[in-house]
Amino acid sequence: MSTAAVELRAISKRFDAVVANDGIDLVLARGTVHAVMGENGAGKSTLMSILFGLVRPDSGEIVVDGETRSFQSPLDAIAAGLGMVHQHFRLFDSMTVAENVVFGAEPTRGGRIDRAAAAERVRSLADRYGLDTDPQARVGDLSAGARQRVEILKALHRDARILILDEPTAVLTPSEVTSLFTVIRRAAEDGTTVVLVTHKIQEVLDVSTEVTVLRDGRVSGRFVTADTTSAELVRAMTGREVEIVANPGTGTLGDTVLEVEGVSVTDARVERVSNVSLSVRRGEIVGIAGVSGNGQHDLVAAILGTTPVSAGRIRLGDHDVTGAPVAARRAAGLAVIPEDRRGEGSAVTMSITENLSLGHHRQPPIGRPKGFGRGWMSLAAARTRAGEQISSYDIRTSGEKQPVGSLSGGNAQKVVIARELSFDAPLLIAEQPTQGVDVGAIEAIHGRLLDYRASGRGILLVSHEISELLALADRVLVMFAGEIVAEFDRSQASAERIGAAMAGAAAAAGEEWTA
Amino acid sequence: MIARLTRHPAVVPIGAVVLAILIGAVVILLAGLNPIDAYAAVLQGSLDVRNLDYTFSVWGFICGMGLVAAIPLRMGEFNLGGNGQLVLGGITAYVVASQLGLPGIVAVPFALIAAMLVSGGFAAVSAPLATRFGIPIIISTLLLSPVAVAVASYLVRFPLAEKGSGNAQTPVLPEDAHIWSLGDLRYTTVGLLLIIAVMVIFYVVDSRSAVGFELRVTGANRRFGEYAGLKPGRLALGAMGSAGAVAGLVGAIIVLSSPYRFIDGALISPGYTFAGLAAALLAGGRPALVPVTAILFTILQVGGASMERTAEVPRQLSDVLQGVVIVILALRVVLDRRRAGAGKDS
Amino acid sequence: MSIFEWSFVAAVLTSATPILFAALAGALCAQAGVFNIALEGQMLWGAFAAVAGSYYTGNAWAGVLVAVLSTAIYSVILAVGAARWKADPIIIAIGTNLLSLGLTGFLLRVLFDTSGSFAPQGLDGIGTMPFLKGIPVIGDVFAGQSVLVPLAFVLIVAAGLWLRLTPGGLRLRGVGEHPDAAATLGIGVARYQTWVTILGGGLCGLAGAQLSLGNVTLFTENMTAGRGWIAVAAVILVANKAFWLPVACLGFGAAEALGFRLQGIGAPQQLTDAAPYAITLVVLVIMRVVVTRRRTHALTPKETLV
Repeated sequence: MSTAAVELRAISKRFDAVVANDGIDLVLARGTVHAVMGENGAGKSTLMSILFGLVRPDSGEIVVDGETRSFQSPLDAIAAGLGMVHQHFRLFDSMTVAENVVFGAEPTRGGRIDRAAAAERVRSLADRYGLDTDPQARVGDLSAGARQRVEILKALHRDARILILDEPTAVLTPSEVTSLFTVIRRAAEDGTTVVLVTHKIQEVLDVSTEVTVLRDGRVSGRFVTADTTSAELVRAMTGREVEIVANPGTGTLGDTVLEVEGVSVTDARVERVSNVSLSVRRGEIVGIAGVSGNGQHDLVAAILGTTPVSAGRIRLGDHDVTGAPVAARRAAGLAVIPEDRRGEGSAVTMSITENLSLGHHRQPPIGRPKGFGRGWMSLAAARTRAGEQISSYDIRTSGEKQPVGSLSGGNAQKVVIARELSFDAPLLIAEQPTQGVDVGAIEAIHGRLLDYRASGRGILLVSHEISELLALADRVLVMFAGEIVAEFDRSQASAERIGAAMAGAAAAAGEEWTA
Repeated sequence: MIARLTRHPAVVPIGAVVLAILIGAVVILLAGLNPIDAYAAVLQGSLDVRNLDYTFSVWGFICGMGLVAAIPLRMGEFNLGGNGQLVLGGITAYVVASQLGLPGIVAVPFALIAAMLVSGGFAAVSAPLATRFGIPIIISTLLLSPVAVAVASYLVRFPLAEKGSGNAQTPVLPEDAHIWSLGDLRYTTVGLLLIIAVMVIFYVVDSRSAVGFELRVTGANRRFGEYAGLKPGRLALGAMGSAGAVAGLVGAIIVLSSPYRFIDGALISPGYTFAGLAAALLAGGRPALVPVTAILFTILQVGGASMERTAEVPRQLSDVLQGVVIVILALRVVLDRRRAGAGKDS
Repeated sequence: MSIFEWSFVAAVLTSATPILFAALAGALCAQAGVFNIALEGQMLWGAFAAVAGSYYTGNAWAGVLVAVLSTAIYSVILAVGAARWKADPIIIAIGTNLLSLGLTGFLLRVLFDTSGSFAPQGLDGIGTMPFLKGIPVIGDVFAGQSVLVPLAFVLIVAAGLWLRLTPGGLRLRGVGEHPDAAATLGIGVARYQTWVTILGGGLCGLAGAQLSLGNVTLFTENMTAGRGWIAVAAVILVANKAFWLPVACLGFGAAEALGFRLQGIGAPQQLTDAAPYAITLVVLVIMRVVVTRRRTHALTPKETLV
C-alpha cells in the first residue's frame, strides 16, 4: 500500500532470556483502524513501546511517512506525529484537564502559560472529535472514561496523526466503550491512523479495519477485519481451538466461611464499595466479575483488613472480624492471592524460601508455637518445606535461595499461590490469579483452585476474564461502580449474560461519553 | 576467575573503603601534608600494644552504636538520634548509681538496666510518631536527639554539677558504682563483654527468630508484610526500643567507666554515633558484619589523635573519611548496574 | 512586657532567614520529587565557604558568591547520585552531611590554623540597610538586617509564582507528581531533578552565608546545629502548601528568638537551645492530628498498630 502511515520492518527485541519481539513486520495504512491482537505476553506491549520510542529495538526499522526514523525517546515519536494512550493513565491528578493536555507543549504569553489559550485549545479539539470534557476540572476528580478522553486530547494537542490506544477498554464500562469507538471512527475518517492494542476479539471485530495477530513475539496472522471470523482470530492467537475447561461438577456445599453484610468502603471521600453483601460456603467458588476498577479490589482489601470499612460487617466462619487486624483475620481462616504480585504478594529481593515461609514462620514445622522454642524458627525445616513446594508446584528455579524477583511471572505467581494455599484456610480469595501468567501455568493454577474447592473449602474468585469465571465459578456476582448489580448461578451464566449485566447496569453512565 | 572475585559480596564495602582512603590521601596532599605519614600514624596510634586496651573499648562503643543504627535499618528505618539516646543512658546511669544509695553489687546492674529502659523508651517514641502521625523516624529521631542532649547538659551543669569545679561535670561516682575492669586493664571493662553479648543476641535474633524474619520482610517490602498480617507499627516500636536500649547501655558503660563521671559533651564528641552509623551502613545492616566494619572506624577514631600529633593532620579527617565511605556506598548502585549490564553482554 | 517589641520581630526574622532559604531549597526539591535531607550539610558548607571567601577577598559579597557557587557544586553529589544514578538520596545525604562536618572542621585547621571557631579581625559581614532607619516599623524591623533577609522573601514569592505560572514550573511539578507521565511527554525527568537539586544547593549556600556573615560574622564548627533539619521538618509540615513555608519558618525563628530573650532573663541556655526542636516536633504532631481529624470521618477499625 502506498499510503502507509507507518511501517515496522523486522523489529526484534529481547529482555534477558525472553524474546519479546522476533522479526515483526507491521504496516499501518493511513486512515485505518488497525488492531494489534495477542494474548498476554505475546509481545504487543513491547512492540508498541518500540513504536512510541519508549524502548529501543535490538534490530529493525521504523518508517514513518516513508522516512526511516530512529526514536531515542517518546519526544522523537511525538515529533514524528505519534501519540499514545497508555493502559495505565499517565496523568497529573492535581492539575486541571487543560494543564494536563498542554503539559510539555504549553501555549505561552510573555513567558507565562496562557491559560485562556490552553482552555480554548482543549475545547476546540474536544468539539472536533466529540470528546466531552471540562478544561478546568481537576483530573483527580474524573471518572476513568473522562480521564481517557484527557489522554486522547493530549495526543491530539500534539497533532498526532497516528494514535496508539493500549488496551483502551480495560477500564471502561460497556457503554463508554461504545462511545470510545465512535471517537475512534471519527478520528479515522479525519485521516488519523488508529492502532488498537487489545486481546478482546469482539472489539476487534466491532471497530477495526485490519488486524495483525501476534503470538510468542511473532506475527501469526494478518487479516482484513471484514473477511475474517472470530474463530480464525482465536486460532491465530492461541495456535489451537479454545476449549473451555469444564468445571467438573459442584462440590457438596458446607458451612458459610465468609459473610459480608452491607459493606461500604470510602477512600478519599469517594465511595469505592457501596453496601455489598455476599457469602461464600465451603465447597463453592464464588466469582466476582466486573470491569477493572469497579470496587472489586477495595472489597478484597476490606475483607483482608488492609482497608477500613465505612459501614457493614464481615464474618469469617464464626468470627466477626470487622475492624480486626489482618493477623486476626488470617488466623480466623483466610488466605489471599493478591492482584499486585510484586507490590503486595511478595518481597522480590528475598529468597523463595523466605517468601514461602512468611505467615507459616510461627507454625510447625518452621516455628514452634509454644514452649521453650517459641518465637524461633528452624531454617532447615523452612528449606525442606520450600524444596517440597518447589517440586510439587513445579516452580522453575535454580534453587530455593533464588530471589523471587528473578523468577518469571508464572513462577513467581506459583510461589504466591503455594504459600497461600498451604495455609489450608477455609476461605481463599483469589484475585486475578492468572494475570500475566503463561498458558501452561494457567491450566495448572486452575487445577489447583478446583482441587482446593474439592477439599471442602470456599473460594472467592475475582477476575476480569469472563472465560475464567465461566470455567471455575459456581456462582458469578457482577460488580459495577462499587455495587453488586447481578448474580448468576452456573446454570444461568454465560459470557453474553455476564457481559450484558456489566453493560446493562452501565446504561446511565453512558451519557458521559456522548458527544 | 577475576570476574568471580569481583562479584564477591565483600568487594563493594572493601572497594568503598580503599577508594575513601585514596580520596583522603588526596585531601591530605592538597592540604600540603604527607598522607603516608598520616596513615602510618593512624595505624601506629590505634594498634600500638600499649594503646590496645583503649582501642578495644572504643571498638566496643562503635559496635554498640553500630547496632543502634543497624537494628532499625533491618526494617528500612534510619535512627539518627543515637546521640540523644546515648546521653540519656549516660545521665540515667549516673543518677541511679550515685543518688539512690544502692549497695555495691546491685548499683552497676541497676544503673545499666535503668539506662537501657530510659533510652529504649525514649527512642521508642519515634515509632508511634511515625505510625500515628506520619512523621518519618529519620526526622523525629533527629529532632528528639538535641532535646535529650540539652536536658542532660542542663542536669550536669546545675542540679548534678560538681561543686567548685569549673568544668561541666558531675562528681566522681562512689567506688562501688564503678563497672568492673577486666584484669588490670583500665578502659576495657565488663561492658565490652556485655556489648559483645548484645551483638551475638542481635545476630541470632536476626537470622533465627520470627521477629527478626518479620523485621527483614518489612524492610524488603512493607506492603507485603502488612498483607501477611505483620504489624509494622509494633515492629518499629520493638526495633526502636531495642536500638535505644543498646544506646543507653553504651552510654551507661561509658559513664560507669574511667573517669567514672558524666562530663558534658564527653559522650558525643568522640563521634561514636556516626562512626557506628557508618559501620552499620558499610555492613549493609548485616549483624555479622557490623563488628568487622566497626574495626575500620575504630582505627580511624583512635588513630586520629595520634595522626594529629605526629603528622599534623587534623583529626577531623576521620569524619571526612566516614562521610566519603557512606557517599561511595550510596553510589555503588551505579557499579551494580554497570556490572549487571556487563553480565548481560557476556 | 519587653519581649514583644519591634526588635523582637527583627530577631525572629534574623533567626528565620537561614531556615527559610534552606526550606525553600527543600520545598523545590520536594516539588520535583527529590527527598532532600542534605540541607544541613550544605548549609554548613555554605557558612564556611562564605567566611572563607569574605576572609580572602575582604568582601562579604564575594563570600556570598563563593558560598552559593561552591555549595551548588557540592550539591552535585546528591543531584547526580540521586536524580541521575538513582542512588538512595537518604544515604547520600547522611554521607554528605557527615562530610561537611568533617571537611569544614578539617579546613578550619588547615587553612586558618584554629579549631572551634574562626572570627578574624575585620571580617567583612553582609551589609545592612541603614537607609531604612527612621521609617516607622519597617526601619525598626529591617534596618539592622542583612540584605539577604528581604531577598529570602522575594525568592519565596518568586518561586511560588514560577511554579504556578510558567511552563517550567508546571513541568517541575509534573516531574514530581508522576515522573513517567512527564517522561512520555518528552520532559527530561532526571534533568529537571538534577538542576533543581543544584539550585537547592545554591540556596543552601545563601542560607549558610546569611548564618555566618549575616546573623553573625564568624564561623564555628557545626554552626548550623540542626537548622537544616528544622528546614526539612518545615517542608514536611507544609506538605504541598508552599504558601505556608514562610509561616512555618517564622514560627521556628520565633522559638529561637524567644529562647534568646528568655536566656536574657535567666533561663538556662541548654533548655532554650532545645526549644526549637521540641516545638517543631510538637507542631508536626498537632498539624497531623488536625489534618487527619478533618479528613477521616469514616468508621476506622480498632487501633491495629502499636
